[in-house]
Amino acid sequence: MQDSLWSHCLRQLEREVPDQQLNTWVRPLHAHETPDTVRLLAPNRFVLDWVRDHFGDRIRELLAAVRPDDPPDLQFEVGSSNIPTEPNPVASQQSARAPEPRTAQHNLNPRFTFDTFVEGKSNQLARAASMQVAENPGIAYNPLFIYGGVGLGKTHLMHAVGNATLAARPNAKVVYLHSERFVAEMVKALQHNSIDDFKRHYRNLDALLIDDIQFFAGKERSQEEFFHTFNALLEGGQQVIMTCDRYPKEVNGLEERLKSRFGWGLTVAIEPPELETRVAILKSKADRSGIDLPDEVAFFVAKRIRSNVRELEGALRRIAANAQFTGRKIDLEFTKEALRDLLALQQKLVTIDNIQKTVAAYYKIRVGDLLSKRRNRSITRPRQLAMHLAKELTTHSLPEIGDAFGGRDHTTVLHACRKVRELIETDARISEDYDNLLRTLST
Amino acid sequence: MQLPLGIRWDQGADLAGFVPGSNAEAVTAVEAAAAGDPVPVFLHGPSGGGKSHLLQGACRRAGAVGAASAYLPLSQLGEHGPELLDGLEGVRLLAVDDIDCIAGRRQWEHALFHLYNRGHERGTAMVMAARQPPAALGLGLPDLASRLGWGLVIRVRTPDDEVRLTVLRTKARESGLDLPEKAARYLLTRCSRDLVHLLRLLDRLDAASLAQGRRLTVPFIREVLGEPGATRGGHTKPPS
Repeated sequence: MQDSLWSHCLRQLEREVPDQQLNTWVRPLHAHETPDTVRLLAPNRFVLDWVRDHFGDRIRELLAAVRPDDPPDLQFEVGSSNIPTEPNPVASQQSARAPEPRTAQHNLNPRFTFDTFVEGKSNQLARAASMQVAENPGIAYNPLFIYGGVGLGKTHLMHAVGNATLAARPNAKVVYLHSERFVAEMVKALQHNSIDDFKRHYRNLDALLIDDIQFFAGKERSQEEFFHTFNALLEGGQQVIMTCDRYPKEVNGLEERLKSRFGWGLTVAIEPPELETRVAILKSKADRSGIDLPDEVAFFVAKRIRSNVRELEGALRRIAANAQFTGRKIDLEFTKEALRDLLALQQKLVTIDNIQKTVAAYYKIRVGDLLSKRRNRSITRPRQLAMHLAKELTTHSLPEIGDAFGGRDHTTVLHACRKVRELIETDARISEDYDNLLRTLST
Repeated sequence: MQLPLGIRWDQGADLAGFVPGSNAEAVTAVEAAAAGDPVPVFLHGPSGGGKSHLLQGACRRAGAVGAASAYLPLSQLGEHGPELLDGLEGVRLLAVDDIDCIAGRRQWEHALFHLYNRGHERGTAMVMAARQPPAALGLGLPDLASRLGWGLVIRVRTPDDEVRLTVLRTKARESGLDLPEKAARYLLTRCSRDLVHLLRLLDRLDAASLAQGRRLTVPFIREVLGEPGATRGGHTKPPS
């Protein structure tokens, strides 16, 4: 590689071309060399045009200078090296915390299994349904539609089904892909007149796992193609699993017939994890990465980072990297320091003012009502919820919270919090409202 | 050869030449990514802390071992359209700069989200940078904010005066200039202390010193900066 024509050329360009241009336009190129040709592969048409227009002549000159008697032919093409990124020493040393390149065929991440999925109240239904599907693919629930907010583990569950299916039947044809990839592959197949191959490939699978189908919104041709693939798979008793950020009927820009068919099997939600699950997730991730995470640290992090699992992982990563860097032991003091920026940001975002506005908007009442002395149920419940949220999400003292709610006494706040905690256990409606509000405020 | 957008001080932005100051952890993380570690790194902090330098230095480091890389300063690529990001996951190291510039621009957000996913699936190393941390970028696509926050998020602090002084004097030395400490301190106290601005000033001084055959003394600097517009930021010397 070091002595190839292209690397020689590149070294020369490094001296002539400002860094930024080199880094943006020239470094992404892959070179394929044969005895008489240098083929430069650009990731897309834009890079290709830019490089050819600005550097084409110069590159030709440089190549000719290396082999003046027999200058190689220079060709530009859109394409990639097609060599999957090789595992490298750094990555394998740190495999516990590094994502692994996936096998090209099915594209499943081997680490996303049911064993590594931490179960809690918020996801147990989705997990149970996924396990059923893994045990009886094509029969139990078809399609399986998993929906919920970002970073809650939808993709993990989907991969877990795929991995379990393959473990039981190593020859099963299972494919995971993001909906964007489906669209891109379809467009490519149309361009290359190979749409029939595309259809055959997807319709012959034993299981198709397709992620984030909300990205099909507004793409009519792709929806059409997916609709037919979907029908063919279902008719053949092959399993389809989909994930989405919301309930199928709520996806705008998706055809009605798709929405209704998506609901034919089983539709399950994943909710944001509750405190105990968040702690369990942190402990489990830390364990698998060989990080010694004391309970009080796990609780500290879980209490402050509520919105989703991905964010918990980000925080844990930050703690681990900082501990490794400074050589310090992970304790409460250290963690507060390591996460200072992250937590400061959250505190800045959640204010009593913000909570009052969000709660008022949610219940379609005015902020003034929350601060008023009015005592009918339609106002007192939201007011109590808002007070409880203020206690949970901000660092204000109870008297301060009372003050912010029209000058109430701190015992009123205390009572409100007790009442809400009790209602969350006994009243499904209040519990749902509380979860929704918590999610809105902490994401 | 016509080379637009040439920012001269970028030349030679390498990792070894970065004065870490209080950003040693960021440097370590970027070095790991440059060596192929696929854990995404997200750097945030105000302008002048050296984020762009680190990203470009990572590309240069990857290039030194023959690995393809791409530096994508989104603030300067807007004219090309988000299709510019197609297929870029095929490089070994992706360095995406100025992500704050695309917040709220739906198509760019989607394109970056998909690039991130494709890169992540392939195990492409990724280093990203913006003025704010992911959650405060004001992104319209929560999926993107969530993914950006999943990696190693590190704040890059603006250098203190001692680091600025070292950087200025080192850069001067690399250009064959002698910038005495007294002169460097004069620059720090009289001009905007943003390093990007200071390094551009140094370019101006370099040119003036060369043209007039004079050394960088405080009186000379005062003379050069006394020209109209000399102390204003944001001015780039045209490529020579």
